Amino acid sequence: MIELQLLWTALVLYVVAGSAAIFSVVWRRRPERLVLTLMAAGLALHTASIATRWERLGHGPYVTMFEILSSNIWSLMLAFAIAFWRLPAIRGSAAVVMPILFIMMGWIMMADPGDGSLPSSYHTVWLFIHIGFGKVFLGATLVAVGLAGVILSRRTALGLRWFERLPEDVRLDDLAYRCMAIGFIFESLMLVAGAIWAQDAWGRYWAWDPLETWAFLTWLVLGIALHARVTYKLSPRTGAMLVVGVFIVAFLTFFGVPFISTTPHKGAV
Amino acid sequence: MQQPEQLTSLLESLASLKLTLVALVLFAALVVLIYVRDDLPSALLAAPLGLLSANLLAAILGNRSFRRQAALLVFHLALLTLVLLLAASRLSYLKGSLELTEGEEFTGTLLESDAGPFHPIDTLRALRFGNLGFRIDYAPGPLRQGIRNQIEIRGPGAVPHRIEITDQKPLILSGYRFYPTGNKGFAPSFNWQPTGGGEARIGTVHLPSYPLHEHGQAREWTPPGTALRIWTMLEFKETILAPDRWSEFRPPKEHRIVLRIGAQRWELVPGGIVDLPEGRLEYRGLRGWMGYTVFYDWTIPWLLAACLVAIGALGAHFWSKFANKPWNA
Repeated sequence: MIELQLLWTALVLYVVAGSAAIFSVVWRRRPERLVLTLMAAGLALHTASIATRWERLGHGPYVTMFEILSSNIWSLMLAFAIAFWRLPAIRGSAAVVMPILFIMMGWIMMADPGDGSLPSSYHTVWLFIHIGFGKVFLGATLVAVGLAGVILSRRTALGLRWFERLPEDVRLDDLAYRCMAIGFIFESLMLVAGAIWAQDAWGRYWAWDPLETWAFLTWLVLGIALHARVTYKLSPRTGAMLVVGVFIVAFLTFFGVPFISTTPHKGAV
Repeated sequence: MQQPEQLTSLLESLASLKLTLVALVLFAALVVLIYVRDDLPSALLAAPLGLLSANLLAAILGNRSFRRQAALLVFHLALLTLVLLLAASRLSYLKGSLELTEGEEFTGTLLESDAGPFHPIDTLRALRFGNLGFRIDYAPGPLRQGIRNQIEIRGPGAVPHRIEITDQKPLILSGYRFYPTGNKGFAPSFNWQPTGGGEARIGTVHLPSYPLHEHGQAREWTPPGTALRIWTMLEFKETILAPDRWSEFRPPKEHRIVLRIGAQRWELVPGGIVDLPEGRLEYRGLRGWMGYTVFYDWTIPWLLAACLVAIGALGAHFWSKFANKPWNA
């Protein structure tokens, strides 16, 4: 199928872009334009793949695990590509971000690309709004975790050498905090849009189902991380560890719950 | 003279940011605990929420610099409003379920319900609407598509009129939202005439949900004013919901109703009669029944407004905080 050929080609371009980014950090070269071009080309093909599948099935990429992974690899790559393009100073963080995306790319290659059926409760514009806000949240968190990874790597001599061209830890920490703040806004919007959708679809705005509970926990953990910064004037290292903690909880929410549960949202099927 | 100082000291302790963190961690821990253990009520969350509210109130009262940051203050006030609204919601909400046969009128009775202690149940009991019938298409699989349910609104004080409700478009009456659900099935209808000339009664038996219990279309019931236990089963050979093509939920064109009382057994088609010592049972025909959920919560629009104010204020706070220094500095 053309959609799969497009997707696999896009993944290859992402992997080449990521590998080039990692090599540029290790060997202290600057093939940044090449990396950005490869990312953009991969995104173009990936967009075509998602659009082709959407046209064929009549619904967007949010039903099966394969579709959830595909759409999130796309949105995360887009978020990071924008950060890579607009914030040249932090381009080296690609060496941290891309391996995370490689894990998801490996996962999607093992996922069943078969068709899924769209539950009737998914026929609502609030689904798009809810998912859209969630993707912005996760994208912002991914950029933050890239910066946090750089700060934490710098605790080692190797990391210090690899990431010497990036701004100092305090500056990276400030940027990560900004990303987390954006993430908090969009996670909040995602929860509200999800509650509106749930009220329409299942007659209740909140029911503590697995995905609601984990999404709320992510919001709480993010709130705790932001509050801890204000309360304790944290060092960049501690701040970075909190960012990584938030990202892990968010990752479990976005991919762990749909992977484990057949009905992550009560009544979804 | 020491009282104001003690009060100030107490207020400072209560307004502590460290206490905020402790309460947030406690909140998160309780959410996990309640999620893992089904036997724990979500009402336990009131404890950390109460602590956070007290902490926030103390901070607003005692911290001048906090009050000076307008956007941050509005964000936290909106959070406080959210907590109060959630408390009001828990005290006055209602959620429940009901089933109506095609042609039947809702008379204010629910099959199951769960309500806050201050819910005004009399309003629900006065509501009237009729289920005029429904249509549900199935894609190959079979996979349920959207529900289209014809409803007639009848009162109180309303001019009877018809509307269509769907999965995402509920019937809203006096703040109660009635949603059609995928829980629906077949309902054999009977006429029961008691021996000795009592009043004849028409009733329906809601067989288990279809197609969820496709192979268990039987139920036991008791005719009014008797101690009889009548086991009733629907039998048909037709494929209603085909796995390989589009189809529609509908009663089978040909069917039989099997009745059993102890060792006695009857098979009936529409118009069939069974004479029993307690009375005469006439099988009238087969219809569909629809299951509804009902939800009432007057706080919903206010909750949404509080959420949007909170998010908007937080966005404004972060904007003013970050606007001074460019991202690429």
